[in-house]
Amino acid sequence: MNKPSVLRRILTTDLPVLLIVLLALGPFAWLVLTSLTPSAQIAQSGVSVSPSGWGVDNYVRLLRQTSFVANMGHSLIVALGTVVLGLTVSVTAAYAFSRFRFAGRRLIMLQFLLVNMFPVVLLILPLFILMRRLGLLDTHLSLILANATVAIPFAVWMLTSYVGAIPKSLDEAAMIDGCSRLMALRRVVLPLAMPGIISTGIYIFITAWNEYLYALTLGGRTVRTVTVAIQTLIGEYQIEWGLLAAGGVVGALPATLLFLIVQRRLIGGLTQGAVKG
Amino acid sequence: MSAHASTMTLNSRYPVPWQRRILPYVLLAPAILVVLVVVFVPMVEAVITSLYDLILWKPNASRFVGFGNYIKLFADPVFWVALGNTALWIGLTVPLQMGLGLLTALLLNREFPWRGLARALVIIPWALSSVVIALMWRWIYDPNTGVLNDILLNLSIIQSGIPWLADPKTALYAVIATLVWQGFPFFAVMILAGLQGIPRSQYEAASIDGASAWRQFRHITLPGIGPVLATAGLLRVIWVANSMDVIFVMTGGGPGYATYTLPLYAFIRARQNLDFGYGTAIAVTFTVLLGSIVAIYILRTMREVER
Amino acid sequence: MKRLMKTIGATCALLAGLAIGTASAETVRFWYHFDNPENPMSDLVKKFEAANPGITIKAENVPWNSYYDNLYTSIVGGDAPDAAMVKLFAQPRLIEMGALEPIGQRIDAWAGKADLLDHLIDLNKGSDGKQYYLPIQYVVLYLYYRDDLLKTAGLTPPKTCEDFRTVAKALTKAPETYGFGLRGGKGGWDQWGAFVLSQGAKLETGGLTTPQAVAANQWVIDLFQKDKVIPPSAPNDGFQEIIAAFKAGKTAMTIHHIGSSNDLVKALGDKVSAVPVPACNGKSWTSYGDESLAVFSSSKAKDAAWKWIAFLAEGENNVAFNKATGQMTVTKSGSKDWKLHERRFVDATVNSLPFAAVLPQSTATAEFVNTAWQTAMQQALTGQITSEQMMKQLEALFKQ
Repeated sequence: MNKPSVLRRILTTDLPVLLIVLLALGPFAWLVLTSLTPSAQIAQSGVSVSPSGWGVDNYVRLLRQTSFVANMGHSLIVALGTVVLGLTVSVTAAYAFSRFRFAGRRLIMLQFLLVNMFPVVLLILPLFILMRRLGLLDTHLSLILANATVAIPFAVWMLTSYVGAIPKSLDEAAMIDGCSRLMALRRVVLPLAMPGIISTGIYIFITAWNEYLYALTLGGRTVRTVTVAIQTLIGEYQIEWGLLAAGGVVGALPATLLFLIVQRRLIGGLTQGAVKG
Repeated sequence: MSAHASTMTLNSRYPVPWQRRILPYVLLAPAILVVLVVVFVPMVEAVITSLYDLILWKPNASRFVGFGNYIKLFADPVFWVALGNTALWIGLTVPLQMGLGLLTALLLNREFPWRGLARALVIIPWALSSVVIALMWRWIYDPNTGVLNDILLNLSIIQSGIPWLADPKTALYAVIATLVWQGFPFFAVMILAGLQGIPRSQYEAASIDGASAWRQFRHITLPGIGPVLATAGLLRVIWVANSMDVIFVMTGGGPGYATYTLPLYAFIRARQNLDFGYGTAIAVTFTVLLGSIVAIYILRTMREVER
Repeated sequence: MKRLMKTIGATCALLAGLAIGTASAETVRFWYHFDNPENPMSDLVKKFEAANPGITIKAENVPWNSYYDNLYTSIVGGDAPDAAMVKLFAQPRLIEMGALEPIGQRIDAWAGKADLLDHLIDLNKGSDGKQYYLPIQYVVLYLYYRDDLLKTAGLTPPKTCEDFRTVAKALTKAPETYGFGLRGGKGGWDQWGAFVLSQGAKLETGGLTTPQAVAANQWVIDLFQKDKVIPPSAPNDGFQEIIAAFKAGKTAMTIHHIGSSNDLVKALGDKVSAVPVPACNGKSWTSYGDESLAVFSSSKAKDAAWKWIAFLAEGENNVAFNKATGQMTVTKSGSKDWKLHERRFVDATVNSLPFAAVLPQSTATAEFVNTAWQTAMQQALTGQITSEQMMKQLEALFKQ
């Protein structure tokens, strides 16, 4: 490939990317502005656009007067727990789906989709009773389990298509070299499917992090996640805009930071030589 | 090259011991177990509920009505309105999310100095909680104090403020725009991961042959991310169809029934009016409809995914 | 090693002691919803626990927009709280579910009863004649208006509905200003009631489709469609929107209660004032916004739960409670020297009390309040159905 000039790169890449980033961040910028405007001023004159009216007042109140830090902790436990549980069972399931042909394969794959088509609201009541019988109400485990059921079917399907894209000749080669099936999965398939696993992990994390209905009904008291805490800022007659915006911004941070850290792993091409060989 | 061929060669080359035959089931068992216990059982219970006239605050008046709820449903004009809205909702949201996501992924896959940062920033809409998004966009659309009308008025695109969410003609599209904004990063991330699986050598070879950028996209990129695109699209259809929290906060289904979708209708009947029998009947009907569409889709595209 | 054993022994003894301690203590799970995020409940809990050793209060702030969904789910699911904040519209359903504990006798035996404002107990009575609710706070809807705009235009606050229309027309300078901010979204039925229920419309069979009721409803629709004194966003406007538009000077009048007065004064100062809602054809109706406390029948700590809710309804504590919620105290001692709101809003509230009413106690009322009214009103405002169709649609609810 011939090296494109910097100017050309800016025109064809940086500029369009900038536009998309602006599109993604435009509405978010308002949220940040609102969070920086002191609450009293929001009530009086609205959101402050000039930096002179800004302050961290809302963030201080959020951290000091509400139990937001504890809520973040609960959300983190639930989201990470869901990622671990979800990915562990999904990776093996995806490997089975993409590498084996067995009786009932299609039916099971379809069943995974079917359970996700049913509107969640109507599962709440039976699930609530089930969790109460198991004594799991208001525990992290109940939320992890509930979120996992939403995450696993999606994760299994996504991972099946990522693993399916990895040439089978590779694990066959490994197995001929004396690896067992599971070793081939660990040594060959897992590293190659890493971009897919990471993006699926991000997907699970975000879904679990933002889940509200389960978090409210199955948790809510001792285990209170960020989404539930944010909802309590929306009152009957009043919305605490300042705190809500600050909560929204802080609440979006973990997923964004997590992605900033793991996105490096989304670079492919390292193993392509092996595929060709 | 094809999956079938290689597995068959593997299977026929060695006699298959029983341990190996049950291996896929062992690998699947944890996933199935979790899903079965936590979703499947409640779901079966729900299907049974739909055959009852069950109103939660009248626990003693519950009675078996067979398909009564379904007969009532098909005669219910709101059901048909909600069905139409649901079709429009899925039909517009998913392709728009996918198109924007594909574009974003292609751009973010190029090399430029701030790539890592751009990738992280782009996922912010997806990382925000739905209720925050819905309230934020409600404010943006507000004709009295919102920013969208201000901008359009200043650019002289419109002459007077448009009540985006209060007009039944625009409300659904306004909510769809919000959901496209929220959901395109999902596609971007998924496609970005899919793009990593395409060997760079293929592009190199194509460039040497003098293939244009469009031809490279058409003949290398698209087939390369085909399976991911098909799966992500499919999953997104299901997810978007079911997501109602943004609609609920933005319009509550209104004005009138202008933004009712079937899951929202089920939610309002069951959770707000506590009419569980009817609400579950809506949910079951919706699942059957969506399920048949998905089945057709899978039959048509599965072969590509499997290849 | 010996030391370790000792420590373990000590810990065990301590744990055993703790276990006994918790076994004898009663825990009251209490659900509430507050518009105030800073959890002012904790001070009241501390005060109560200090006065009642042996009772622990677990106060849970449940998000308002899922409050009742969640409450019903927990009742049906067998995990209801011991006591909770509840509104009248939910009472018929809760009674039907058998979820409420009658507290009439406890109230009669309670010292604080005499201090409650008159009639509040009667207003809260269940449809079966028993007493389940203990009032805790209240508001009454009245008309907010921009004093400065009315004065400039040489107008006085409207007393009748015809006045109201004239003033609204005079103050409308679209698209900058509109005469009236109507809440067409969720919860707007209480504004609508001032114009329609005042004219004899009733939430019962045959009560909504009378010619007068249909005409009164048409009058409201005309304000929007023909007179155009209401902003075009009205069909989707909830309370935040009507308050925001009023604060921003987009609307000159709106109907809400004292809960928003401090916020409005912050933004508008002396420019905002209030009067009772106008009378239509000589009659007034306004919504009495209630909030009560109830004990649930499934509770295993009913005595402790009662002690706690009675504590919240007593003079000083009730004032502290309302300081947090921004509403009005239900006690005579507390209202005597009420300083939490500016006088003019308290006056408007008190002057509205004679004709303030609650919706009929029927199980259909909850559906009317939650979903049916807003859907029908939005359809009528946007011209999809006529006034008569709207009223028929609503009346159908009350037929069951």
